[in-house]
Amino acid sequence: MKKMSLSMAGKRRREAYCFILPAFFYMILVLGYPLVYNIILSFKNVNVKNLTKGGSVFVGFQNYIDLFQNATFRLVLKNTFVFTIACLVFQFTIGFIFALFFSQKFKLSGPIRGMILVSYMMPMSVTGLLGKNIFANAGLINDLLSKIGIAGPEWLVNTSTSMIAVIIMNCWVGIPFNMLLLVSGLTNIPGDVYESASIDGATWIQRFRYITLPLMKGSIFSVLMLGFIYTFRAFDLMYIMTSGGPLNSTDVLGTYSYTLSFTQFEFSKGSAVAMVLFACLFIVGLFYLRLLSKEDD
Amino acid sequence: MKTLQTKEGRANLRNSIIAIIIAFIFLFPIYWLVQISFKSDVETFGKVLSYYPREFTVEPWLVNLTDPTFLVSLRNSFINGFLTMGITLLLGVPAAYGMGRYKVPGGNVFLLTFLVAQMLPASLTLTPMYLIFNRLGFLGTHFAAPIAIAAASIPFAIVTLRPYFKSVPVALDEAARLDGCGPLRAFISIMIPAVKTGIITIVVISFLNGWNDLIYSMTFNVGAEMRPLTANIYKFQNAYGTKWNCIMAYGTILVIPVVLLFIFLQKYIVGGLTAGAVKD
Repeated sequence: MKKMSLSMAGKRRREAYCFILPAFFYMILVLGYPLVYNIILSFKNVNVKNLTKGGSVFVGFQNYIDLFQNATFRLVLKNTFVFTIACLVFQFTIGFIFALFFSQKFKLSGPIRGMILVSYMMPMSVTGLLGKNIFANAGLINDLLSKIGIAGPEWLVNTSTSMIAVIIMNCWVGIPFNMLLLVSGLTNIPGDVYESASIDGATWIQRFRYITLPLMKGSIFSVLMLGFIYTFRAFDLMYIMTSGGPLNSTDVLGTYSYTLSFTQFEFSKGSAVAMVLFACLFIVGLFYLRLLSKEDD
Repeated sequence: MKTLQTKEGRANLRNSIIAIIIAFIFLFPIYWLVQISFKSDVETFGKVLSYYPREFTVEPWLVNLTDPTFLVSLRNSFINGFLTMGITLLLGVPAAYGMGRYKVPGGNVFLLTFLVAQMLPASLTLTPMYLIFNRLGFLGTHFAAPIAIAAASIPFAIVTLRPYFKSVPVALDEAARLDGCGPLRAFISIMIPAVKTGIITIVVISFLNGWNDLIYSMTFNVGAEMRPLTANIYKFQNAYGTKWNCIMAYGTILVIPVVLLFIFLQKYIVGGLTAGAVKD
Protein backbone atom coordinates (compact mmCIF):
# COMPACT_ATOMS: atom_id res chain seq x y z
CA MET A 1 0.00 0.00 0.00
CA LYS A 2 2.72 2.39 1.07
CA LYS A 3 4.77 1.66 -2.01
CA MET A 4 1.81 2.42 -4.22
CA SER A 5 1.09 5.79 -2.62
CA LEU A 6 4.77 6.62 -2.92
CA SER A 7 4.75 5.92 -6.61
CA MET A 8 1.55 7.95 -6.91
CA ALA A 9 3.30 10.86 -5.24
CA GLY A 10 6.25 10.39 -7.53
CA LYS A 11 3.99 10.40 -10.55
CA ARG A 12 2.25 13.57 -9.44
CA ARG A 13 5.61 15.20 -8.82
CA ARG A 14 6.77 14.30 -12.32
CA GLU A 15 3.56 15.76 -13.73
CA ALA A 16 4.09 18.97 -11.82
CA TYR A 17 7.65 19.32 -13.07
CA CYS A 18 6.48 18.78 -16.65
CA PHE A 19 4.21 21.79 -16.27
CA ILE A 20 6.63 24.05 -14.41
CA LEU A 21 10.08 23.30 -15.78
CA PRO A 22 9.71 24.56 -19.37
CA ALA A 23 8.96 28.08 -18.10
CA PHE A 24 11.65 27.77 -15.45
CA PHE A 25 14.35 26.78 -17.96
CA TYR A 26 13.18 29.54 -20.29
CA MET A 27 13.82 32.02 -17.48
CA ILE A 28 17.26 30.56 -16.78
CA LEU A 29 18.17 30.69 -20.46
CA VAL A 30 16.71 34.08 -21.37
CA LEU A 31 17.28 35.95 -18.09
CA GLY A 32 19.61 33.96 -15.85
CA TYR A 33 22.33 33.36 -18.40
CA PRO A 34 22.40 36.97 -19.68
CA LEU A 35 22.44 38.18 -16.07
CA VAL A 36 25.58 36.16 -15.34
CA TYR A 37 27.01 37.19 -18.70
CA ASN A 38 26.35 40.83 -17.81
CA ILE A 39 28.28 40.51 -14.54
CA ILE A 40 31.25 39.03 -16.42
CA LEU A 41 31.03 41.70 -19.14
CA SER A 42 31.15 44.45 -16.55
CA PHE A 43 34.56 43.18 -15.40
CA LYS A 44 36.00 43.02 -18.94
CA ASN A 45 36.77 45.59 -21.61
CA VAL A 46 34.53 44.41 -24.44
CA ASN A 47 33.85 47.06 -27.09
CA VAL A 48 33.09 47.10 -30.79
CA LYS A 49 36.79 46.78 -31.72
CA ASN A 50 37.58 43.57 -29.85
CA LEU A 51 34.08 42.07 -30.13
CA THR A 52 34.65 40.21 -33.38
CA LYS A 53 38.43 39.98 -33.30
CA GLY A 54 38.62 38.79 -29.72
CA GLY A 55 41.27 39.93 -27.31
CA SER A 56 39.06 41.39 -24.59
CA VAL A 57 40.58 40.92 -21.14
CA PHE A 58 39.44 41.10 -17.54
CA VAL A 59 40.02 44.51 -16.05
CA GLY A 60 38.72 43.92 -12.53
CA PHE A 61 36.78 46.84 -11.08
CA GLN A 62 38.23 49.32 -13.57
CA ASN A 63 34.86 49.99 -15.29
CA TYR A 64 33.23 50.74 -11.96
CA ILE A 65 36.12 52.95 -10.84
CA ASP A 66 35.95 54.85 -14.14
CA LEU A 67 32.22 55.31 -13.74
CA PHE A 68 32.32 56.78 -10.27
CA GLN A 69 35.14 59.12 -11.28
CA ASN A 70 33.07 60.29 -14.24
CA ALA A 71 31.03 63.46 -13.57
CA THR A 72 28.43 62.48 -16.19
CA PHE A 73 27.78 59.17 -14.47
CA ARG A 74 27.41 60.85 -11.10
CA LEU A 75 24.91 63.26 -12.65
CA VAL A 76 23.03 60.34 -14.21
CA LEU A 77 22.90 58.54 -10.87
CA LYS A 78 21.59 61.67 -9.19
CA ASN A 79 19.01 62.19 -11.96
CA THR A 80 17.77 58.64 -11.55
CA PHE A 81 17.16 59.14 -7.84
CA VAL A 82 15.63 62.61 -8.28
CA PHE A 83 13.30 61.29 -10.98
CA THR A 84 12.32 58.20 -8.99
CA ILE A 85 11.75 59.91 -5.67
CA ALA A 86 9.85 62.87 -7.15
CA CYS A 87 7.64 60.51 -9.15
CA LEU A 88 7.02 58.31 -6.13
CA VAL A 89 6.08 61.24 -3.89
CA PHE A 90 3.64 62.80 -6.35
CA GLN A 91 2.10 59.70 -7.83
CA PHE A 92 1.67 58.09 -4.43
CA THR A 93 0.21 61.13 -2.68
CA ILE A 94 -2.13 62.10 -5.49
CA GLY A 95 -2.87 58.44 -6.23
CA PHE A 96 -3.84 57.91 -2.59
CA ILE A 97 -6.12 60.96 -2.54
CA PHE A 98 -7.77 59.70 -5.73
CA ALA A 99 -8.07 56.22 -4.25
CA LEU A 100 -9.82 57.59 -1.15
CA PHE A 101 -12.09 59.63 -3.38
CA PHE A 102 -12.94 56.82 -5.80
CA SER A 103 -13.50 54.24 -3.06
CA GLN A 104 -16.63 56.16 -2.10
CA LYS A 105 -19.81 54.78 -3.57
CA PHE A 106 -21.22 57.00 -6.29
CA LYS A 107 -22.48 56.34 -9.76
CA LEU A 108 -19.49 57.37 -11.86
CA SER A 109 -16.84 56.02 -9.47
CA GLY A 110 -16.24 52.68 -11.23
CA PRO A 111 -16.30 53.81 -14.88
CA ILE A 112 -14.10 56.88 -14.42
CA ARG A 113 -11.62 55.06 -12.19
CA GLY A 114 -11.21 52.52 -14.98
CA MET A 115 -11.17 55.10 -17.76
CA ILE A 116 -8.20 57.14 -16.52
CA LEU A 117 -6.08 53.97 -16.44
CA VAL A 118 -5.79 54.11 -20.20
CA SER A 119 -2.68 56.30 -19.88
CA TYR A 120 -1.00 53.43 -18.03
CA MET A 121 -1.75 50.97 -20.81
CA MET A 122 -0.58 52.98 -23.78
CA PRO A 123 2.99 52.71 -25.08
CA MET A 124 5.38 54.85 -23.04
CA SER A 125 6.95 55.93 -26.33
CA VAL A 126 3.69 57.67 -27.31
CA THR A 127 3.61 59.30 -23.87
CA GLY A 128 7.08 60.58 -24.72
CA LEU A 129 5.88 61.99 -28.05
CA LEU A 130 3.00 63.71 -26.30
CA GLY A 131 5.34 65.16 -23.68
CA LYS A 132 7.59 66.50 -26.38
CA ASN A 133 4.62 68.22 -28.00
CA ILE A 134 2.85 69.72 -25.00
CA PHE A 135 6.05 70.93 -23.33
CA ALA A 136 7.36 72.53 -26.54
CA ASN A 137 8.01 76.28 -26.36
CA ALA A 138 4.71 77.16 -28.01
CA GLY A 139 3.00 74.01 -26.76
CA LEU A 140 -0.11 73.37 -24.71
CA ILE A 141 1.46 73.87 -21.27
CA ASN A 142 2.93 77.28 -22.05
CA ASP A 143 -0.26 78.32 -23.82
CA LEU A 144 -2.28 77.47 -20.70
CA LEU A 145 0.27 79.26 -18.51
CA SER A 146 0.12 82.37 -20.68
CA LYS A 147 -3.68 82.42 -20.24
CA ILE A 148 -3.15 82.99 -16.52
CA GLY A 149 -0.41 85.50 -17.20
CA ILE A 150 2.66 83.35 -16.65
CA ALA A 151 5.44 83.23 -19.22
CA GLY A 152 6.36 79.55 -19.27
CA PRO A 153 10.01 78.49 -19.57
CA GLU A 154 11.48 76.65 -22.54
CA TRP A 155 10.81 73.40 -20.72
CA LEU A 156 12.82 70.97 -22.81
CA VAL A 157 15.63 73.40 -23.67
CA ASN A 158 16.62 74.40 -20.14
CA THR A 159 18.58 71.93 -18.09
CA SER A 160 16.75 73.18 -15.00
CA THR A 161 13.22 72.45 -16.26
CA SER A 162 13.57 69.39 -18.50
CA MET A 163 13.45 66.96 -15.58
CA ILE A 164 10.27 68.58 -14.26
CA ALA A 165 8.57 68.01 -17.61
CA VAL A 166 9.62 64.36 -17.69
CA ILE A 167 8.44 63.83 -14.11
CA ILE A 168 5.04 65.36 -14.91
CA MET A 169 4.60 63.05 -17.90
CA ASN A 170 5.55 60.04 -15.82
CA CYS A 171 3.08 61.01 -13.08
CA TRP A 172 0.32 61.16 -15.69
CA VAL A 173 0.93 57.42 -16.06
CA GLY A 174 1.82 56.63 -12.45
CA ILE A 175 -1.05 58.33 -10.61
CA PRO A 176 -3.81 56.14 -12.09
CA PHE A 177 -1.71 53.04 -11.50
CA ASN A 178 -1.07 53.89 -7.85
CA MET A 179 -4.73 54.74 -7.44
CA LEU A 180 -5.82 51.38 -8.85
CA LEU A 181 -3.60 49.40 -6.47
CA LEU A 182 -4.59 51.50 -3.46
CA VAL A 183 -8.31 51.33 -4.22
CA SER A 184 -8.14 47.55 -4.10
CA GLY A 185 -6.46 47.81 -0.70
CA LEU A 186 -9.10 50.25 0.55
CA THR A 187 -12.04 48.15 -0.57
CA ASN A 188 -10.68 45.30 1.54
CA ILE A 189 -11.22 47.30 4.73
CA PRO A 190 -14.55 46.12 6.12
CA GLY A 191 -17.14 48.93 6.17
CA ASP A 192 -18.37 48.18 9.69
CA VAL A 193 -15.00 49.24 11.12
CA TYR A 194 -15.70 52.78 9.92
CA GLU A 195 -19.31 52.63 11.02
CA SER A 196 -18.47 51.81 14.61
CA ALA A 197 -15.80 54.52 14.58
CA SER A 198 -18.34 57.05 13.29
CA ILE A 199 -20.72 56.09 16.09
CA ASP A 200 -17.89 56.63 18.56
CA GLY A 201 -17.61 60.15 17.16
CA ALA A 202 -14.28 59.88 15.29
CA THR A 203 -13.59 62.68 12.83
CA TRP A 204 -12.50 61.78 9.31
CA ILE A 205 -8.89 62.69 10.14
CA GLN A 206 -8.95 60.33 13.13
CA ARG A 207 -10.55 57.62 11.01
CA PHE A 208 -7.85 58.05 8.38
CA ARG A 209 -5.02 58.13 10.92
CA TYR A 210 -6.16 55.28 13.17
CA ILE A 211 -8.10 53.00 10.85
CA THR A 212 -7.20 53.51 7.19
CA LEU A 213 -3.45 53.95 7.50
CA PRO A 214 -2.72 50.99 9.82
CA LEU A 215 -4.97 48.66 7.81
CA MET A 216 -3.41 49.82 4.55
CA LYS A 217 0.18 49.38 5.71
CA GLY A 218 0.76 46.29 3.57
CA SER A 219 -0.73 47.82 0.43
CA ILE A 220 1.14 51.09 0.92
CA PHE A 221 4.49 49.33 1.27
CA SER A 222 4.04 47.17 -1.77
CA VAL A 223 2.76 50.08 -3.89
CA LEU A 224 5.81 52.16 -2.95
CA MET A 225 8.28 49.37 -3.56
CA LEU A 226 6.67 48.34 -6.82
CA GLY A 227 6.62 52.01 -7.82
CA PHE A 228 10.33 52.26 -7.09
CA ILE A 229 11.11 49.13 -9.09
CA TYR A 230 9.10 50.33 -12.12
CA THR A 231 10.23 53.97 -11.98
CA PHE A 232 13.92 53.47 -11.30
CA ARG A 233 14.40 51.53 -14.52
CA ALA A 234 12.75 54.17 -16.74
CA PHE A 235 13.95 54.25 -20.32
CA ASP A 236 11.28 54.72 -23.01
CA LEU A 237 9.97 58.06 -21.75
CA MET A 238 13.33 59.83 -21.69
CA TYR A 239 14.56 58.15 -24.82
CA ILE A 240 11.68 59.52 -26.91
CA MET A 241 10.87 62.76 -25.08
CA THR A 242 14.35 64.21 -24.48
CA SER A 243 16.93 61.56 -25.50
CA GLY A 244 18.41 62.20 -22.05
CA GLY A 245 19.14 65.82 -22.87
CA PRO A 246 19.68 68.69 -22.81
CA LEU A 247 23.24 68.11 -21.58
CA ASN A 248 22.36 64.85 -19.81
CA SER A 249 19.87 66.68 -17.59
CA THR A 250 17.28 63.90 -18.04
CA ASP A 251 19.73 61.06 -18.59
CA VAL A 252 19.01 58.16 -16.21
CA LEU A 253 20.80 54.84 -15.63
CA GLY A 254 18.64 53.06 -18.22
CA THR A 255 19.30 55.55 -21.02
CA TYR A 256 22.95 56.05 -20.09
CA SER A 257 23.62 52.31 -20.15
CA TYR A 258 21.96 52.14 -23.56
CA THR A 259 24.03 55.02 -24.92
CA LEU A 260 27.29 53.45 -23.75
CA SER A 261 26.44 50.04 -25.20
CA PHE A 262 24.67 50.95 -28.42
CA THR A 263 25.85 54.38 -29.54
CA GLN A 264 29.41 54.25 -28.25
CA PHE A 265 29.60 50.43 -28.47
CA GLU A 266 31.43 50.26 -25.12
CA PHE A 267 29.55 47.11 -24.11
CA SER A 268 31.43 46.52 -20.87
CA LYS A 269 30.86 50.08 -19.68
CA GLY A 270 27.15 49.79 -20.51
CA SER A 271 27.03 46.53 -18.54
CA ALA A 272 28.67 48.15 -15.53
CA VAL A 273 26.02 50.91 -15.51
CA ALA A 274 23.32 48.27 -15.76
CA MET A 275 24.87 46.50 -12.75
CA VAL A 276 24.61 49.69 -10.68
CA LEU A 277 20.96 49.94 -11.72
CA PHE A 278 20.46 46.32 -10.74
CA ALA A 279 22.17 46.74 -7.35
CA CYS A 280 19.79 49.55 -6.39
CA LEU A 281 16.75 47.57 -7.51
CA PHE A 282 18.02 44.47 -5.76
CA ILE A 283 18.07 46.15 -2.35
CA VAL A 284 14.49 47.37 -2.71
CA GLY A 285 13.49 44.08 -4.33
CA LEU A 286 14.63 42.14 -1.26
CA PHE A 287 12.22 44.12 0.94
CA TYR A 288 9.43 43.56 -1.55
CA LEU A 289 10.07 39.80 -1.69
CA ARG A 290 10.12 39.58 2.09
CA LEU A 291 6.78 41.34 2.19
CA LEU A 292 5.31 38.99 -0.42
CA SER A 293 6.62 35.86 1.25
CA LYS A 294 5.11 36.99 4.56
CA GLU A 295 1.73 37.31 2.90
CA ASP A 296 2.01 34.07 0.97
CA ASP A 297 0.85 30.88 2.65
CA MET B 1 -35.29 67.44 -8.04
CA LYS B 2 -36.27 66.18 -4.63
CA THR B 3 -33.37 63.71 -4.40
CA LEU B 4 -30.90 66.51 -4.92
CA GLN B 5 -32.20 68.13 -1.78
CA THR B 6 -31.13 65.20 0.39
CA LYS B 7 -27.65 65.17 1.84
CA GLU B 8 -26.68 61.95 0.12
CA GLY B 9 -27.93 63.18 -3.23
CA ARG B 10 -25.83 66.33 -2.94
CA ALA B 11 -22.72 64.34 -2.02
CA ASN B 12 -23.37 62.10 -4.99
CA LEU B 13 -23.65 65.05 -7.34
CA ARG B 14 -20.58 66.74 -5.93
CA ASN B 15 -18.51 63.55 -6.24
CA SER B 16 -19.67 62.98 -9.79
CA ILE B 17 -18.65 66.50 -10.79
CA ILE B 18 -15.19 66.10 -9.23
CA ALA B 19 -14.82 62.71 -10.93
CA ILE B 20 -15.68 64.23 -14.30
CA ILE B 21 -13.09 66.98 -13.79
CA ILE B 22 -10.43 64.37 -12.94
CA ALA B 23 -11.37 62.32 -16.00
CA PHE B 24 -11.21 65.48 -18.14
CA ILE B 25 -7.68 66.35 -16.95
CA PHE B 26 -6.38 62.80 -17.36
CA LEU B 27 -7.97 62.13 -20.73
CA PHE B 28 -7.19 65.56 -22.19
CA PRO B 29 -3.66 64.58 -23.36
CA ILE B 30 -5.19 61.74 -25.37
CA TYR B 31 -7.70 64.14 -26.92
CA TRP B 32 -4.74 66.43 -27.67
CA LEU B 33 -2.90 63.62 -29.46
CA VAL B 34 -5.91 62.78 -31.60
CA GLN B 35 -7.02 66.32 -32.45
CA ILE B 36 -3.59 67.34 -33.76
CA SER B 37 -3.65 64.32 -36.09
CA PHE B 38 -6.65 65.84 -37.91
CA LYS B 39 -5.11 69.27 -38.45
CA SER B 40 -3.91 70.59 -41.80
CA ASP B 41 -0.27 71.52 -42.31
CA VAL B 42 -1.20 75.21 -42.41
CA GLU B 43 -2.88 74.99 -39.05
CA THR B 44 -0.05 72.95 -37.52
CA PHE B 45 2.43 75.65 -38.44
CA GLY B 46 0.03 78.47 -37.50
CA LYS B 47 1.10 81.11 -35.00
CA VAL B 48 -1.93 80.63 -32.75
CA LEU B 49 -2.35 77.33 -30.93
CA SER B 50 -5.81 75.95 -31.67
CA TYR B 51 -7.47 73.46 -29.36
CA TYR B 52 -9.37 71.67 -32.12
CA PRO B 53 -8.87 71.22 -35.88
CA ARG B 54 -10.48 74.26 -37.57
CA GLU B 55 -10.34 72.58 -40.96
CA PHE B 56 -10.71 68.88 -40.33
CA THR B 57 -8.53 66.71 -42.58
CA VAL B 58 -7.46 63.06 -42.73
CA GLU B 59 -4.38 63.98 -44.77
CA PRO B 60 -1.87 63.24 -41.92
CA TRP B 61 -3.38 59.77 -41.56
CA LEU B 62 -3.08 59.15 -45.29
CA VAL B 63 0.55 60.27 -45.26
CA ASN B 64 1.23 57.46 -42.77
CA LEU B 65 -1.08 54.83 -44.20
CA THR B 66 0.31 55.14 -47.72
CA ASP B 67 3.94 54.85 -46.59
CA PRO B 68 5.24 51.29 -47.20
CA THR B 69 7.63 51.51 -44.23
CA PHE B 70 4.73 52.52 -42.01
CA LEU B 71 2.62 49.58 -43.12
CA VAL B 72 5.44 47.11 -42.66
CA SER B 73 6.11 48.56 -39.16
CA LEU B 74 2.43 48.19 -38.32
CA ARG B 75 2.61 44.55 -39.36
CA ASN B 76 5.75 44.09 -37.25
CA SER B 77 3.96 45.56 -34.23
CA PHE B 78 1.25 42.92 -34.59
CA ILE B 79 3.89 40.20 -35.03
CA ASN B 80 5.60 41.41 -31.84
CA GLY B 81 2.31 41.35 -29.94
CA PHE B 82 1.16 37.94 -31.13
CA LEU B 83 4.51 36.19 -30.75
CA THR B 84 4.93 37.54 -27.22
CA MET B 85 1.42 36.39 -26.43
CA GLY B 86 2.08 32.94 -27.94
CA ILE B 87 5.27 32.29 -25.98
CA THR B 88 3.69 33.60 -22.77
CA LEU B 89 0.61 31.37 -23.06
CA LEU B 90 2.59 28.29 -24.09
CA LEU B 91 4.99 28.45 -21.14
CA GLY B 92 3.32 30.66 -18.54
CA VAL B 93 -0.10 29.04 -18.27
CA PRO B 94 1.16 25.45 -17.68
CA ALA B 95 3.67 26.73 -15.12
CA ALA B 96 0.97 28.68 -13.27
CA TYR B 97 -1.14 25.52 -13.24
CA GLY B 98 1.72 23.35 -11.99
CA MET B 99 2.48 25.80 -9.21
CA GLY B 100 -1.12 26.42 -8.24
CA ARG B 101 -2.32 22.81 -8.15
CA TYR B 102 0.66 20.70 -7.12
CA LYS B 103 2.81 20.76 -4.03
CA VAL B 104 6.36 20.03 -5.13
CA PRO B 105 9.70 20.17 -3.38
CA GLY B 106 11.44 23.35 -4.43
CA GLY B 107 8.15 25.07 -5.18
CA ASN B 108 9.27 28.18 -3.34
CA VAL B 109 12.47 28.33 -5.37
CA PHE B 110 10.39 28.44 -8.54
CA LEU B 111 8.12 31.12 -7.18
CA LEU B 112 11.06 33.21 -6.04
CA THR B 113 12.71 32.87 -9.46
CA PHE B 114 9.61 34.13 -11.22
CA LEU B 115 9.12 36.98 -8.77
CA VAL B 116 12.73 38.10 -9.19
CA ALA B 117 12.46 37.74 -12.98
CA GLN B 118 9.49 40.11 -12.92
CA MET B 119 11.62 42.82 -11.37
CA LEU B 120 14.66 42.62 -13.64
CA PRO B 121 14.99 45.74 -15.81
CA ALA B 122 15.42 45.34 -19.56
CA SER B 123 18.60 47.43 -19.39
CA LEU B 124 20.27 44.70 -17.38
CA THR B 125 19.91 41.88 -19.89
CA LEU B 126 19.92 44.00 -23.04
CA THR B 127 23.67 44.16 -23.72
CA PRO B 128 24.42 40.47 -23.05
CA MET B 129 21.33 39.40 -24.99
CA TYR B 130 22.42 41.53 -27.93
CA LEU B 131 25.84 39.88 -27.92
CA ILE B 132 24.34 36.39 -27.56
CA PHE B 133 21.75 36.97 -30.30
CA ASN B 134 24.50 38.42 -32.47
CA ARG B 135 26.47 35.19 -32.15
CA LEU B 136 23.39 33.02 -32.77
CA GLY B 137 22.38 35.07 -35.81
CA PHE B 138 19.04 36.06 -34.18
CA LEU B 139 19.46 39.79 -34.68
CA GLY B 140 17.12 41.22 -37.29
CA THR B 141 14.59 38.39 -36.99
CA HIS B 142 10.98 38.63 -35.88
CA PHE B 143 11.67 36.31 -32.96
CA ALA B 144 14.48 38.22 -31.27
CA ALA B 145 12.41 40.87 -29.47
CA PRO B 146 9.44 38.65 -28.48
CA ILE B 147 11.81 36.08 -26.93
CA ALA B 148 13.11 38.81 -24.63
CA ILE B 149 9.75 40.50 -23.97
CA ALA B 150 8.14 37.17 -23.05
CA ALA B 151 10.71 36.74 -20.31
CA ALA B 152 8.88 39.55 -18.51
CA SER B 153 5.37 38.42 -19.48
CA ILE B 154 5.75 34.81 -18.34
CA PRO B 155 6.41 35.69 -14.66
CA PHE B 156 3.46 38.09 -14.81
CA ALA B 157 1.27 35.29 -16.18
CA ILE B 158 2.40 32.92 -13.44
CA VAL B 159 1.94 35.36 -10.57
CA THR B 160 -1.48 36.40 -11.89
CA LEU B 161 -2.86 32.98 -12.83
CA ARG B 162 -1.58 30.89 -9.93
CA PRO B 163 -4.26 32.11 -7.50
CA TYR B 164 -6.94 31.44 -10.15
CA PHE B 165 -5.82 27.81 -10.49
CA LYS B 166 -5.60 27.48 -6.73
CA SER B 167 -9.22 28.51 -6.31
CA VAL B 168 -10.64 25.90 -8.71
CA PRO B 169 -12.40 23.20 -6.62
CA VAL B 170 -10.36 19.98 -6.27
CA ALA B 171 -13.48 17.94 -7.09
CA LEU B 172 -13.32 19.25 -10.64
CA ASP B 173 -10.07 17.63 -11.61
CA GLU B 174 -10.71 14.55 -9.50
CA ALA B 175 -13.86 13.99 -11.53
CA ALA B 176 -11.86 14.41 -14.71
CA ARG B 177 -9.25 11.89 -13.51
CA LEU B 178 -11.98 9.36 -12.65
CA ASP B 179 -13.33 9.76 -16.16
CA GLY B 180 -9.95 8.61 -17.37
CA CYS B 181 -8.52 11.99 -18.39
CA GLY B 182 -4.73 12.15 -18.45
CA PRO B 183 -3.07 15.11 -16.75
CA LEU B 184 -2.64 16.99 -20.01
CA ARG B 185 -6.26 16.42 -21.09
CA ALA B 186 -7.50 17.48 -17.67
CA PHE B 187 -5.40 20.63 -17.86
CA ILE B 188 -6.51 21.63 -21.34
CA SER B 189 -10.18 20.68 -21.33
CA ILE B 190 -11.11 21.16 -17.65
CA MET B 191 -8.72 23.59 -15.96
CA ILE B 192 -8.13 26.18 -18.67
CA PRO B 193 -11.86 26.79 -19.25
CA ALA B 194 -12.28 27.07 -15.47
CA VAL B 195 -9.87 29.99 -15.29
CA LYS B 196 -11.02 31.69 -18.50
CA THR B 197 -11.14 35.16 -16.91
CA GLY B 198 -7.50 34.97 -15.90
CA ILE B 199 -6.47 33.66 -19.31
CA ILE B 200 -8.12 36.62 -21.06
CA THR B 201 -6.12 38.95 -18.80
CA ILE B 202 -2.89 37.23 -19.81
CA VAL B 203 -3.81 37.31 -23.50
CA VAL B 204 -4.44 41.05 -23.40
CA ILE B 205 -1.50 42.07 -21.22
CA SER B 206 1.06 39.89 -23.02
CA PHE B 207 -0.11 41.20 -26.39
CA LEU B 208 0.25 44.77 -25.12
CA ASN B 209 3.71 44.01 -23.72
CA GLY B 210 4.78 43.01 -27.21
CA TRP B 211 2.94 45.87 -28.89
CA ASN B 212 4.32 48.55 -26.51
CA ASP B 213 7.93 47.35 -26.47
CA LEU B 214 10.56 49.84 -27.57
CA ILE B 215 13.94 48.92 -26.12
CA TYR B 216 14.30 45.31 -27.31
CA SER B 217 12.71 45.92 -30.69
CA MET B 218 14.99 48.79 -31.61
CA THR B 219 18.14 47.16 -30.23
CA PHE B 220 17.71 43.78 -31.87
CA ASN B 221 16.50 45.16 -35.21
CA VAL B 222 18.66 47.68 -36.98
CA GLY B 223 16.76 47.81 -40.27
CA ALA B 224 13.64 50.02 -40.39
CA GLU B 225 11.69 47.36 -42.28
CA MET B 226 12.09 44.88 -39.40
CA ARG B 227 11.11 47.32 -36.67
CA PRO B 228 7.66 47.76 -35.14
CA LEU B 229 5.99 51.19 -34.93
CA THR B 230 7.39 52.04 -31.49
CA ALA B 231 10.98 51.50 -32.60
CA ASN B 232 10.54 53.54 -35.79
CA ILE B 233 9.26 56.68 -34.05
CA TYR B 234 12.59 58.45 -34.48
CA LYS B 235 12.81 57.59 -38.16
CA PHE B 236 9.40 59.09 -38.85
CA GLN B 237 10.03 62.04 -36.57
CA ASN B 238 13.10 62.87 -38.60
CA ALA B 239 11.17 62.46 -41.84
CA TYR B 240 8.23 64.61 -40.69
CA GLY B 241 10.36 67.27 -39.00
CA THR B 242 7.98 69.56 -37.17
CA LYS B 243 4.88 68.29 -38.97
CA TRP B 244 3.26 67.42 -35.69
CA ASN B 245 -0.01 66.46 -37.37
CA CYS B 246 1.73 63.54 -39.14
CA ILE B 247 3.65 62.54 -36.00
CA MET B 248 0.48 62.57 -33.92
CA ALA B 249 -1.41 60.54 -36.52
CA TYR B 250 1.42 58.02 -36.18
CA GLY B 251 1.04 58.09 -32.39
CA THR B 252 -2.75 57.81 -32.58
CA ILE B 253 -2.57 54.72 -34.77
CA LEU B 254 -0.14 53.22 -32.26
CA VAL B 255 -2.63 53.85 -29.45
CA ILE B 256 -5.79 52.61 -31.21
CA PRO B 257 -5.39 48.86 -30.45
CA VAL B 258 -4.62 49.70 -26.82
CA VAL B 259 -7.74 51.83 -26.48
CA LEU B 260 -9.91 49.22 -28.25
CA LEU B 261 -8.68 46.42 -26.02
CA PHE B 262 -9.15 48.70 -23.05
CA ILE B 263 -12.74 49.59 -23.95
CA PHE B 264 -13.85 46.02 -24.59
CA LEU B 265 -11.80 44.10 -22.03
CA GLN B 266 -11.29 46.70 -19.29
CA LYS B 267 -12.64 44.40 -16.59
CA TYR B 268 -9.98 41.79 -17.33
CA ILE B 269 -7.12 44.27 -17.59
CA VAL B 270 -7.93 46.06 -14.35
CA GLY B 271 -8.49 42.81 -12.46
CA GLY B 272 -5.23 41.37 -13.75
CA LEU B 273 -3.13 44.42 -12.95
CA THR B 274 -4.34 44.39 -9.37
CA ALA B 275 -3.86 40.67 -8.89
CA GLY B 276 -0.41 40.67 -10.45
CA ALA B 277 0.96 43.53 -8.43
CA VAL B 278 -0.45 43.51 -4.94
CA LYS B 279 -1.71 40.54 -3.08
CA ASP B 280 -4.52 41.04 -0.67
